[in-house]
Amino acid sequence: MPPKALQATTVQGDPETYEDQNVHNVYDEIATHFSSTRYKPWPIIANFLSSLMTGWIGLDSGTGNGKYLPLPLDRPGDIWTIGLDRSRNLLEIARKAGRSDFTREVLVGNVLDNPWRPAVFDYAISIATIHHLATHERRRLAVKRLLECVAPDHGRVLIYVWAIEQDELSRRKVIEDNDPSPPIGKDVVVPWVLSKELSKSSTSSKQIAGPQVYNRYYHMFAKGELLRLVLEAAAELQLQVGSRPKAEDAVQNDTRGIEVVQDGWERSNYYVEVRLWQAS
Amino acid sequence: MVRLITHNLLACHAKDCNTNNFPLAFKDAQLEIREAEFNPEFLKGFLPKIEWTALVDTARQLGDTSLPLEQPEMLDDEFLKNLHHVLLEIHVEEGSMTCPNCGHVYPISNGIPNMLLAEHEIG
Repeated sequence: MPPKALQATTVQGDPETYEDQNVHNVYDEIATHFSSTRYKPWPIIANFLSSLMTGWIGLDSGTGNGKYLPLPLDRPGDIWTIGLDRSRNLLEIARKAGRSDFTREVLVGNVLDNPWRPAVFDYAISIATIHHLATHERRRLAVKRLLECVAPDHGRVLIYVWAIEQDELSRRKVIEDNDPSPPIGKDVVVPWVLSKELSKSSTSSKQIAGPQVYNRYYHMFAKGELLRLVLEAAAELQLQVGSRPKAEDAVQNDTRGIEVVQDGWERSNYYVEVRLWQAS
Repeated sequence: MVRLITHNLLACHAKDCNTNNFPLAFKDAQLEIREAEFNPEFLKGFLPKIEWTALVDTARQLGDTSLPLEQPEMLDDEFLKNLHHVLLEIHVEEGSMTCPNCGHVYPISNGIPNMLLAEHEIG
């Protein structure tokens, strides 16, 4: 099948209602089929989770089918990742992620909320989630929530979002555009063709001819846009940006900040990893 | 899933509910016990992050009295095994969690808690 061109779109009306209709409802409908296509962890995320200390707990914000919850596979149970998602149907899959005889910790929630004791986690990941939020402000708030939910003196955060710059391995075509480097990403809808046997509606009395197509909303990030979002969120939380100060720097006690550890592009996605620090 | 490992991290996040919003109180909890692999090194690393009193009280409400009121200084195997059981083997499958401050109820169904708020409850 030839790649489908993405369609540009404009978010209209209340962004929350828009996300409900164009993201959350879609994932609930396509959960089983979607999950069957998402099983391979990306290496940078697997490496991040392998590098965490035994005894750490973390949040996977927008866990989807929970494919990162069982990691690291070489030392299972050394860390605990708790999965949060808006799609209950995806969570039903996520709670059995990795091993069907094993139950994961998952909960229904919104990535813009903060239903936790303050800064209770050691790490947080948000993989392919923030690009589903319909405004820049909401995307920034989602990043703030990640920075807020981890420990100020050692918390680690990894974020992945979809890039405008797509690689040739990806089956999707980048939207045709003459502007060489747009400063802000693009709003698009991506069709999901639900195979007939997995379609819920095939069991209903209403017969639908052919496969069902669902359009999911994405904000495709431009180069530099994710890092800018992280820096804006840090500024709002009054976090300095830079490496952890050394003892001789005589920084005021309790000064807090983030260090950008990685900032890159991989397989059609942008990612940023940061570490939080607190001067003592 | 709501195991006590997760319950010990959750707090009410309804609008203007900022104090005394932890721990959420289980109501009509239906429990299931499932064995999990014992990992003492994880438990030792996680222990300093636990709100101990909340964990002990909640475990007692669910019928498990194996944990001491004070965290022991010596982490022997018996203590760690009891802690393992309380944190990771007791699953609350159905029921709800109520905020001690504002009374907001977070339902649990098929082992999955719903932490969403209605629009007017969001801060």
